[in-house]
Amino acid sequence: MKLLQQPGETIAYLWAVPGTCLGSLLLSPLRHYVDLSNVALLYVLWVVLMAVTYGRGPAVATALLASLAYAYFFVPPHFSLAITEGQYLLAAVIMLVVAMMVSHLTSRLKQIADFASRKSIESTKLYQLTQELAGATTPETVIDLASRFLAVSYRASQVRVYMPSEFNSTSGQTNPALLNRCAERQELLSRPTSQGKFYALVPLMAGSGNQGILGFEVESAILGSQDAVEHIETVASVVAVALERSYFAEKARQTEIKHAAETLRNSILAALSHDLRTPLTALVGMAEAVAMGKVPVEKHRQTLDAIRNQAVSIGQQMTKLLDMAKLSAGKFELVRDWQPVEEVIGVTLQQVRAQWHDREVTVSLARDLPPINIDAVLIERVLWNLIENAIKYSPADAPVDLRVNAVGEEMEISVCDSGCGIPAKNGDKLFDLFQRGKSESGIPGVGLGLSIAKTIVEAHGGTIAARNRENGGSCFSIRIPLGNPPHFEEMDEPS
Amino acid sequence: MTDAETILIVEDEQQIREAVAMALGCEGFVVCEAGTARHAAVQAAARKPNLVILDLGLPDRDGVDFIRDFRAWSSTPILILSARSEESSKVDALDAGADDYLTKPFGIAELLARVRALLRRRQPDLQAAEPTLQFGDYLVDCVNRVVTRAGCVVHLTQIEYRLLAFLAANPGRVLTHRHLLTQVWGGQAAENHQYLRVYVGHLRQKVEDNPAQPRHIITEIGVGYRFQP
Repeated sequence: MKLLQQPGETIAYLWAVPGTCLGSLLLSPLRHYVDLSNVALLYVLWVVLMAVTYGRGPAVATALLASLAYAYFFVPPHFSLAITEGQYLLAAVIMLVVAMMVSHLTSRLKQIADFASRKSIESTKLYQLTQELAGATTPETVIDLASRFLAVSYRASQVRVYMPSEFNSTSGQTNPALLNRCAERQELLSRPTSQGKFYALVPLMAGSGNQGILGFEVESAILGSQDAVEHIETVASVVAVALERSYFAEKARQTEIKHAAETLRNSILAALSHDLRTPLTALVGMAEAVAMGKVPVEKHRQTLDAIRNQAVSIGQQMTKLLDMAKLSAGKFELVRDWQPVEEVIGVTLQQVRAQWHDREVTVSLARDLPPINIDAVLIERVLWNLIENAIKYSPADAPVDLRVNAVGEEMEISVCDSGCGIPAKNGDKLFDLFQRGKSESGIPGVGLGLSIAKTIVEAHGGTIAARNRENGGSCFSIRIPLGNPPHFEEMDEPS
Repeated sequence: MTDAETILIVEDEQQIREAVAMALGCEGFVVCEAGTARHAAVQAAARKPNLVILDLGLPDRDGVDFIRDFRAWSSTPILILSARSEESSKVDALDAGADDYLTKPFGIAELLARVRALLRRRQPDLQAAEPTLQFGDYLVDCVNRVVTRAGCVVHLTQIEYRLLAFLAANPGRVLTHRHLLTQVWGGQAAENHQYLRVYVGHLRQKVEDNPAQPRHIITEIGVGYRFQP
């Protein structure tokens, strides 16, 4: 801090020494017109000005010089330091004493004012840090904020926090013994490093105990200042509280995740044990019946067909479980491409026809639909799941309607059936994992279709909604933002 | 063909291999089997099969590498069997020279249909003399570059014609986006998938009765297109 004031101090002494001399010299021709006591007051005024502006040192220098100049230039005999009359000597001495006292008082006042304003800046900064720390939810952010604060306020480098668990495995800037002593004594410890710097360790104490130790390297001057050390300790306690809080927050989040995973695992187990084991039992039963000759020959064909259908259905459930596992791992990436929506719909209908040969699906496409930016493979899964649901939950002779419209800035694809509709109590849970319209019902499935659809549609920035139709049945609609299809230049000629 | 056709099945899962072999055997094909890529290469060289059915997930080697090596010396059609988790390697395999794919679990009926389609296509010498392609009631005259439907000319642009002619010349085969783009537009267009989609859309409007549910130009989602005569 001293170094910084160097140029300011040079200017102060320039004013004090040559300024006083020059002023006195310029004023000296007026000695016959101005009363000697007024001259003394003029010098006192000058000393006060210097004290207010530059503080004690320059003021004292000015006071000494002023008394000398007063004696030299103004007290007869002129241009001599000799003072013949006793009262002139008294005046010079009083002037010196007054000048010294005033300079002392004003410079102290200035010091106090400076101290107050520095403290106010420090507390503003501390308040800012506290505010920032309040927003930090992970230990990493807390440590990062503290590092930045110390770097800006104290030009500290190599800031890091040593966790209690790593005290005994530390090397480099510090060692286990120093860390343990710091934690035990709960006070700031430091040791010298190269280039006159010190590596300081501050314990981070909070309500639930030691949160770790804050280590950083600073100039030795900072650790020598009681103010700075107190401020650093205050910062450390604020950081400690923030760290403690972030650990608790992290712990709470982990517990929540664990809980969610637990719930998911239970649902998967329940789904697998009922929804897959039931058809599997039937499958094994039918196969054994044929193998043991319990099925009359004329019914073989029929039984084998049933076995095949059952196996295909189990295969589809497995596909959904795998899809969901892939989607909920959160690592899937959309392979988006601009494409006509008809293409995806065409593929879905082709699959539907392969599975339900004579089930009627009516399609109505609005005219001039723009291309849409989607991952076709995933959107096809969405449409398949919606149509499969519609077919499963409605009478065999009722057609399923598929409609595509542009609604505002979105494309809406609706799949409507004339089945039993959505039970009101299930409304909001409909898209949750392993939710089924009717649990324990005879309709095969594991309750994944809608959940998969929702995940995929939302990954596209879209929405999915369900509603009951007025005259029975339900409608599931997905909406996907249209975006701005790229301009396409056709460079084609008639052949 | 008087001799029965030979089919090589390369699959490490014994149950699937046996099921496929049994089904093909019943249809009168001669079947040889291999459980590893190394054994498959030996079998392919010794037996000169008319068709290879290849599982992509082999224990000793990447299926796509096997196809590249195989294509270096043979143009025998390859039908891939892939699990659902192998979406991207499926496209790589088709780009490397495989002709068609089936995703597990697949039905035997579908497998037999694909096998027949690939074997039919494998006899180009029967059609080589005719510079025309025929499908449904369409006729593609490759000399005069004219497409007619039941005698009436269908007006196509140059690119639409090239696209249709290339598709129709490869019936039953899955053509990847990349393959079609390089063949019809040239190598520099290989990544312009939406180009292809727009022209396929145009072509369907002109050729298909119901463009939303096409009969001839079938979309293989995430992969490419298949032409069905």
